[in-house]
Amino acid sequence: MAELSAEYEALIQFLYLAPVGLVQLAADGEIALMNPISAQLLMPHSRNGGLDNLFVALEEVAPDLRGLCQRYEAGSGKICDGLHVHLNAGDGKRVPQILSLTLLKLDAHRIMAVINDITEQVRRECRQRQHDAWLNAVLTGITDYALASLDAQGRLCEWNPSIGRVTGFGPEAEGQPYTMFYPLDAITPEHALDRLREADADGWALDESRLLRLDGSAFWGSVMIAPLPEVERDTDGLACGDGAAYCLILRDVSDKRDIAERRRREAYSDHLTGLANRRALFEAAAQELERSRAAPRPTAMIVIDADHFKAVNDRYGHPGGDAVLQHLAAILRASVREVDVVARIGGEEFAVLLPSTDLSQALALAGSLCARVAQDATSFDGLAIACTISAGVAVAIDGAGGVDLLLRQADQALYTAKRNGRNRAESAHQEPDRAGARTQEDSNAA
Amino acid sequence: MTAIAFDHPDLATRLDGCSGDELDQLDFGVIGFGPDTEVHRYNTFESQAAGLSAQRVIGEPLFTNVAPCMNNFMVAQRFEDTLAEHGVLDETIDYVLTLRMRPVKVRLRLLASAASTTRYVLVQRQLR
Repeated sequence: MAELSAEYEALIQFLYLAPVGLVQLAADGEIALMNPISAQLLMPHSRNGGLDNLFVALEEVAPDLRGLCQRYEAGSGKICDGLHVHLNAGDGKRVPQILSLTLLKLDAHRIMAVINDITEQVRRECRQRQHDAWLNAVLTGITDYALASLDAQGRLCEWNPSIGRVTGFGPEAEGQPYTMFYPLDAITPEHALDRLREADADGWALDESRLLRLDGSAFWGSVMIAPLPEVERDTDGLACGDGAAYCLILRDVSDKRDIAERRRREAYSDHLTGLANRRALFEAAAQELERSRAAPRPTAMIVIDADHFKAVNDRYGHPGGDAVLQHLAAILRASVREVDVVARIGGEEFAVLLPSTDLSQALALAGSLCARVAQDATSFDGLAIACTISAGVAVAIDGAGGVDLLLRQADQALYTAKRNGRNRAESAHQEPDRAGARTQEDSNAA
Repeated sequence: MTAIAFDHPDLATRLDGCSGDELDQLDFGVIGFGPDTEVHRYNTFESQAAGLSAQRVIGEPLFTNVAPCMNNFMVAQRFEDTLAEHGVLDETIDYVLTLRMRPVKVRLRLLASAASTTRYVLVQRQLR
């Protein structure tokens, strides 16, 4: 008997100390058994101080979990394997940012979950991928590229035939900023200068995105910028003077784009709406704030929530709710610049990251988004589902604070908008003249 | 000596003065640990709730080998910050422990001060 109880104790301790989260839950998410690492990872996300239900505990960060389990039809098997759950942007603190979640259905009533903090692992893989991208850019496809020199402001110093071959631009390109290869709104002048600074700091700056030829046709381009040696520099180490300061290598990599894009889409986009997901937003916002510390400028964030969304789901069912979310996503996407990032960050919650945008611009945009949504019902099954949104706006000046703070401030403003009657935008900062942008006023003015 | 309650003020000093037997009489869990996080006090209430005997726990680092569920910014980080600032910690938070792998709602009282080498996590089960 004593031997049995010692063995039991050893087994208990083994589970206590397993360095991975293990949870057994019912089909509705109710937690039956869990080990300590699960509690360590999940407790910071509990809104009510409890851990009764895994779906509820992760609702804010993985809204689709319940649906994922419900849609899984087989009697048993893996529902998901290593699904990434993005918690926060971290803002430099050593807290878990990304959890991996594996769900194994045992039978109709039981699901096993394995939860792991993979923040460091993902960071390492990300560095490795950047390294691979660099090698890829340098070592492959050297048969077709445009080579150009840029001055300290990123303007093309001179035209050559390789530029004409890849982009179709003629000698008139001389003296133009290299942003001319990008679609309108896809890059801000500040971003263009950021890349030059990054090239100065790291020795190179690499970017892949959609570019345009002179005839308007699009191609997937890899743009590498590297500083030229022995260039005149100011006291901050930045290139100055009128001569060539950087070399730009531009390659058409459209044929490789499909694979890269698919991988990117899987990791960075929201399954239902096709918008960016939490991870993509966090990464883009962190990068923008970091850059705007180096090159001072405001960065705005709008957090948007569909009003009374539960009533939509109750009345039209989840397919109706999903149609509304897709419709909202389409309106948001169509209303912003290409350089802005629109993300779905919760069940019916969205966020828009606006680089180089101040408070009044962001508030005006948020107000007009509310108006557009209010006027444009979702068509679903022959019905028109009316829905409004509330929006909260916050701005980080010169990258101060961090992504989590910026989102929290926008969230608070969203809460104010809800409290003040919904279908409206509010800002997190006090403005003497304009406490809130009511959509009615905006639509009347328009 | 009178019975010591979970929410008694200035509890750390009183616990410092308790013998092991006296700690075993309490109706809440007591885990005492040093600046290196090694557990050196572990009372009967906690031992029975967790299903671990004191000898498996005494001398082990608390946040990695005894109660990994507390190794986050809500608990462990608070102790580390207090230690770094030579400050005083006396906070009570709602938490979930996984006693014998069952999620159990508890209240944790976190006690630390530069005046004592023993820091405490006290565990009181919440009534459902």
